[in-house]
Amino acid sequence: MLDQSKIDKITSDLLRHIRLNNKFVLWMGFLGISFVVCLYAYTLQLKEGLSVTGLGDYVSWGMYIANFVFFVATSLIGMLISAVLGLSGAKWASPLARIAEIIALAFAAVAGLVIVSDMGHPERLLNVFMYGRLQSPIVWDVTVVSIYVVISALLLYLPLIPDMKICYDKLDKVPKFQRNIYKILSLNWNGSLEQQRIIKQSTRILAILIIPVALAIHTVTSWLFAATSRVGWDSSIFGPYFVTGAFVSGTAAVIIAMYIYRKNYRLEDYITELHFDKMGKLLVLVSLVYLYFNLNEFMVPGYKMKKFDATHLNDLFAGSHAAMFWAVQILGLVLPILLLLFRKMRKPGPMMIIALFVIVGAWFKRYIIVVPTMEHPYLPIQNVPINFKIYSPTITETLITIAPIILVLIIITVLSKLVPIIPIQETIEHLEEETK
Amino acid sequence: MFKKYNYLKFSISFLLIALFFLNTNAQKQRWDVPADKKAKNSYIKFDNASSKDGEAIYTKNCLSCHGNPGKGNSMKTLKPIPPDLYSSLTQELTDGELFYIISVGRLVMPAFKDILSEEDRWKLISYVRSGNKKYVQVLSKTDPNKSKLVKIKLDFDSLTNKIKVIANAAEKTGIIPLKDAEVSLFAKRYFGKLQIEKTIRTNSEGIVIFNFPKDLPGDKAGLVDLSVKINDEVYGEIEFQNKLKVGIPTDKPSLTEKRAIWNVLKKAPIWLIITYTSLVFLVGFVLLFIVKNLMKLRKLGNN
Ligand code: HEC
Repeated sequence: MLDQSKIDKITSDLLRHIRLNNKFVLWMGFLGISFVVCLYAYTLQLKEGLSVTGLGDYVSWGMYIANFVFFVATSLIGMLISAVLGLSGAKWASPLARIAEIIALAFAAVAGLVIVSDMGHPERLLNVFMYGRLQSPIVWDVTVVSIYVVISALLLYLPLIPDMKICYDKLDKVPKFQRNIYKILSLNWNGSLEQQRIIKQSTRILAILIIPVALAIHTVTSWLFAATSRVGWDSSIFGPYFVTGAFVSGTAAVIIAMYIYRKNYRLEDYITELHFDKMGKLLVLVSLVYLYFNLNEFMVPGYKMKKFDATHLNDLFAGSHAAMFWAVQILGLVLPILLLLFRKMRKPGPMMIIALFVIVGAWFKRYIIVVPTMEHPYLPIQNVPINFKIYSPTITETLITIAPIILVLIIITVLSKLVPIIPIQETIEHLEEETK
Repeated sequence: MFKKYNYLKFSISFLLIALFFLNTNAQKQRWDVPADKKAKNSYIKFDNASSKDGEAIYTKNCLSCHGNPGKGNSMKTLKPIPPDLYSSLTQELTDGELFYIISVGRLVMPAFKDILSEEDRWKLISYVRSGNKKYVQVLSKTDPNKSKLVKIKLDFDSLTNKIKVIANAAEKTGIIPLKDAEVSLFAKRYFGKLQIEKTIRTNSEGIVIFNFPKDLPGDKAGLVDLSVKINDEVYGEIEFQNKLKVGIPTDKPSLTEKRAIWNVLKKAPIWLIITYTSLVFLVGFVLLFIVKNLMKLRKLGNN
């Protein structure tokens, strides 16, 4: 048996970050002010319409859509860590499951808002429900993303139930209403065997269900592109290409979160160098798979260079998008893979920097997928001003693109001030099993 | 001294060359309208009413490029820049020239011959002239009512696949053939009109003959919607429509008749409806089960 003092230490260590401090207030203030600035940009768009953006008749999908794809992609990590690794019995990953779920929930929930910004007037969203056709991948996307948000929320909540009880018992300094919320959310948890069985069973069912749903959200998102016959999108491997790409950006997001939590909340005993080492290897694995899909995606049409593909590919390889294309492939994919092969690079510090490169690369990768294709339609663009042909985002548009990123950071920050980001009950159970 | 002289010579010749180029460039910009078209006048009186009609047509068809006349807000990103139509350079053009430019167009400036009727094009010019105080209209002697006298007949010869168009005017003095009038023949298609051969002028008997293609699809009975457009110096513009059995009978069901991926929601493919709804229900049931589990968990804690 584990002695009580050890349990107490774990509990107090993992509950320590649930309190307000100056750092939190400063950080939230910064996020809040930036968010307000971005909201102001959005009011401009509400007033003037999408003409405040660089979008037009030809390039009608720009940064907003790239941002949306990035958000959906990053949210897929919840499924990889809590479902795939969890079900396959990779115990090392269980302290990271909640971080991954928080990231998944925040990104998936905000992804819907990102799409609304691309619609111009937000009430146009209703049109999807009033006039949406079952045949359209957009309707499938709305369906699966909503389902994914619900399942992710449940997968975050179920393992939290025992911890809610601990929060209620131990956190006597927090405001009364906050304790009451803990109490309600703990659903009368008393740790009986039957209750444990119910949680285990439900979590398992959801973990199984979320795998096809997660694959569906990103596959359907890829079909929004691949269901057209446009150059660069007309590809039969777009589904797996998107899904594998999603794991890359999601893994990087979790690594960054791990680093920040570990540093700020002094969780070195719980998020250890072993976790970084394993996540580094995971990042290499998913990046290699993604690199393989990239090779297929560009090598096969690049070998044939069919007339219209050639315009597109030449522009990517050596034309106006070449700098971004190669930066994304090399700095965001190839170099990280090579570096992470060395054990020294899989330490927290270096990995944090590598993960930043990967996630920024992942964002621009979505830009490379969305924008250049729009600039290369089959019908020639004639007699229009140059700014119709070549997309250049405006400052207002950039601010509106940044807004959801800030919102995600706000959600993650607030959640990690309300719930223990490392599962307490599970950590104790694991220790008990080990000492047995 | 010698050097200075050289320099001067160089400057002068340079200036002359530059002027030469400027001049030719300026000339290239103007319009080259055949003399008979240049002299053409409107049979519609340019007054407030016609100018008002013209403004509405202008707003729909021209504003996006030319901007509001007199305001100089035309679309500057086009090449050449669409001129402000109140500008003196444009106002120097004759009514006939304006009519010709609007009808035929040039590069970026679209041709409106087949988009706007002759009447609408004259109304546009009425609007364009409304900003010019010095302008005095010369009315055409053509009587617009004269066009009502014209009778058009279409004959199809199935042996030679030729369509004969006969145009006569029923004057009080007797039947007069329309001589030397421009005749165009169109067949109605899904998206607009297909011109058959090119525009031909009538002979002295008011007759033109078009070679009709042998492979033009018609409706179930082979009927094709034909329209004839005649432009005559005296009788003006006349349009005539008729259905003739000149096409190949075609009976293709409309692409939107059956259930299909591209159809409206009500005509979605059955397999898709079944797949979608059963998947949504499946997920719904699992989620209900989880909720039920949570309620059970809560109850257990009460005891
Ligand atoms: C797609 C843009 C566009 C539209 C639509 C358009 N125009 Fe033009 N228009 C032009 C351009 C460009 C020129 C100059 C052409 C040139 O010089 O070769 C021009 C020239 C003209 C001119 C000759 C003016 C001059 O001084 O040389 C007239 C008259 C004119 N347009 C009338 C009209 C009218 C009337 C309409 C609507 C029925 C119309 N245009 C619609 C682009 C347009």
